Amino acid sequence: MRSTANRAGPRPLLTSDVAAPADALSRLAAHGDQQFEAFFERLETVELLPQGAPNRLRVRKEQGLGVRKIENGRSRLAAADTISGPAFAACCDRVAGTARSIGTAPPRIRTGSWPALRLAELQRAESRLARAVNRRRVGFPMEITARRHRRQVQVIRSPIAAPPQFEEYFSLQVTTPWGVWGGLLPSLADEDLDPVALCLVDRLRSRGLPLHRRAPGVIVLGPNAAAVLLHEVVAHALEADTLGLSGVPDHVVGLKLGGPELDVVDDPRSAPLACKRSSDDEGTAVISRWLLRRGRVRQPLADLAWAERCPSMIPGAARRASRHRLPGPRTTHLELLPGTIPERDLFAEAVGGLYIGEFDRGNLDPLDGRCVLRAPCGRRIGASGPVDHTGPIEIRSRAVDLLAAVTAVADRPLAGGAGWCAKDGALMPVWARCPSIRLEGLQVAD
Amino acid sequence: MKSARLPGLRSLRLALGAVRERTGATGAELYVKVGNTRRIEIDPWMATVTADPDDLQTQVSVLDERGWALRAGGASRALFLADSGPLPEPNGWRRLNRHSLRPGILRLPAARSGTAQSPAADTGEHSPDEEEAAGLAFLHDLLRRLGERMPEARLVRGRLDSGASAAVLASTTGVTARSGRRLATVELDFAASRDGRHGHCRLYRAASTLHLLSADTIAREIAERLTLATAPAPPFLPAGEVAVSPALGCNLLALLAPLLRGRDGWRRLRKLGAGHPLGPRQLQIVDDGGLDAGWMSAAFDDEGVPTRAVALVRDGEPGEPLLSWEDDGWSGFSAAGCRRRSGWRALPELCHSHLYIAGAPEPAESIRSGIVHGCYLLDRAHDGRCHATFEPSTNGGAGQLEEGRFEVDAIGLVIRRGTVLGEAPRVRLTGSLRQLLQGIRAIGDDLRFLPAPGAVGAPTLLLTGLQVEAVG
Repeated sequence: MRSTANRAGPRPLLTSDVAAPADALSRLAAHGDQQFEAFFERLETVELLPQGAPNRLRVRKEQGLGVRKIENGRSRLAAADTISGPAFAACCDRVAGTARSIGTAPPRIRTGSWPALRLAELQRAESRLARAVNRRRVGFPMEITARRHRRQVQVIRSPIAAPPQFEEYFSLQVTTPWGVWGGLLPSLADEDLDPVALCLVDRLRSRGLPLHRRAPGVIVLGPNAAAVLLHEVVAHALEADTLGLSGVPDHVVGLKLGGPELDVVDDPRSAPLACKRSSDDEGTAVISRWLLRRGRVRQPLADLAWAERCPSMIPGAARRASRHRLPGPRTTHLELLPGTIPERDLFAEAVGGLYIGEFDRGNLDPLDGRCVLRAPCGRRIGASGPVDHTGPIEIRSRAVDLLAAVTAVADRPLAGGAGWCAKDGALMPVWARCPSIRLEGLQVAD
Repeated sequence: MKSARLPGLRSLRLALGAVRERTGATGAELYVKVGNTRRIEIDPWMATVTADPDDLQTQVSVLDERGWALRAGGASRALFLADSGPLPEPNGWRRLNRHSLRPGILRLPAARSGTAQSPAADTGEHSPDEEEAAGLAFLHDLLRRLGERMPEARLVRGRLDSGASAAVLASTTGVTARSGRRLATVELDFAASRDGRHGHCRLYRAASTLHLLSADTIAREIAERLTLATAPAPPFLPAGEVAVSPALGCNLLALLAPLLRGRDGWRRLRKLGAGHPLGPRQLQIVDDGGLDAGWMSAAFDDEGVPTRAVALVRDGEPGEPLLSWEDDGWSGFSAAGCRRRSGWRALPELCHSHLYIAGAPEPAESIRSGIVHGCYLLDRAHDGRCHATFEPSTNGGAGQLEEGRFEVDAIGLVIRRGTVLGEAPRVRLTGSLRQLLQGIRAIGDDLRFLPAPGAVGAPTLLLTGLQVEAVG
């Protein structure tokens, strides 16, 4: 069934001429070392809670702007929770440190209308998910909270205005008697809800099982789990600010982190349909960025500030959680390019090992490179593929050891592993497309 | 730019009238909040401290926040709508209509005597440039002092937030309230390496104003923690007494929080005692939304219900539960204002404000020096465990908290008759929640609050009957 999401997007965030604020920003720079940037943002979250919950329908809207001055590696940000000419002028005054910094008359700034609320798809999510679960011949009580997130962004970096950006995606939280599942989805169509049902049924079948303590020789990670692993040990590890904590970021270029089967790309342009980006949150055009090319570091994730500090770095990966936060280098859409091994063969050489379909938690220590990944359940691999379910599994390892353990990449990539990245407490949606991978020689700790 | 001002109650009442007229809602409530925050973040990759505070590489953000939330509806239909910016004029609610309300329930507290006499809020922004200069000087001073104490300490993350917020609330049931708050928080991550051993330390401290935070004290705390975190593991850990510092005591109390709120918490707490006292007679656990000089102190909660001190555990026995107005009169107990919003976007939820173990007359120093053979645990380990586990239920679910166990990874010292025998870079303190409370042997006089979220406070505690083992 096709999604009912409106792919056309709403009217542009700013309906007034963007040249006016761009012109005002260009008047702010006292000398060539100063850069000014305006960030306009509009967010909407529509949340539908389970039946019987108080205030079941919750609509949160917000819009605002931030003006940032960058000078000699330092930045100064002023943000307001409204979009208007006077608010823009006031923020300019705050970052410039003078009154009437852009003249006596603030520029005219107008916003477009909010898109329609469209509740039907959220209301149908519960029954669709229940049907997807029932198709697997099981049924259990579920409390479903469905949310639709929309974000419009317009960045003006004097004297250029980047194209306006629009993202729309969904999040689900499913509470069952044995735990809570949460994740991001590009739509609430059947094809996106089906993998959720699979995760829920796996959790049902592994409920009450003890923590898996035996260290298997071989682990096969499904596309969702592989995406979380790569998010932690490739994307986070290759963010310029993370690299900056332990050395000079561009010194890692050329470093061998894994085998030749690892080709990892960050490409916001190929994210799911309604989440594609053509420019980042600093207004820089995004690129298809090779993070790892045949296992070697090619191009870390960088924003403007890091590209200024390290000239070999290419900006275009800046993201900001909101107008109240400064941008930083982050991944948006991670892709592991497929290998040549059919998935069936991946399992055939992993008999006796463990299959992990999803990780529900991951963490990378930026200083010592240790990584912790937690799976709510797993399955033992038999001659016919994944068989018996196991309890939760925790993998603790160094990031380099995890990558070195990847010995095979399957040939069929799937979109999956989308979730909230919470680095430094700033929640951002991240997307991925990965095939299954096989790891050998890892430690599974309690 | 002047900070945004709160609308008057008359504006709120006019807006409520317009909302009711357009939607047909039987009840409605409006909550408006304004705030300003000044944030200073230190660049960890550039933080070389010189004599001049202006040389500190920082990113400064000046944030104005402004938003409102509407709850409208009745017994069968309801709506929650939140938006940034100023409150719409009475004719600005045109988008709402009778179809805006969806199946759901809205319940609002009734007005009580006293709610109309809410204190005026202090919303002003106090000399922002001076505040920024004070913030920079504080961070510079802290880094300089830490550099003197422990040159190998390395900043991973440093952030100072200071600001003020004010809120006004009105509902169709006649509840009105105003509140104002000032808060300064500092969040610091440091790492160090000594003799090939790596250690981390994370500190989060808060005070009503920046001037109440001491750079010297925080620098000392960081140096102490990093020294312990990078020490060699002790060959032997005594299993007798364990004294825990206020910082670790706060973490332990925060683990108990689900037992200490609401009707379910009360049932669990009663069951935990199983007919016996929960703890020693000097054990008092209190939640007080109006605590004098507390960061969260307010005469009313975020639904306009008056706050008060609730003795959750009194003289070692269950006292009274923390109940919201919806449960007023349950089992003969009175409600207290305890529903708070994490921001203007959020609905009010039952939560603690100042949850603390009241201090006793015994000097903390005498507790520490009185350890015959045991450990003094200073704080939780940076990346270690700190959680209460739950017994599996019959269907394999997460189960309930009663009969639960806890485990906390901590750093500390091994002590024998007041003498430090060695350092413990990571020990795991485990036991049942019942043991944790019933094993309290002494309570110190050095009550201290930490942000948890909300404020959680504890003095030095002497605990027995728990398991201590070295990990890592």
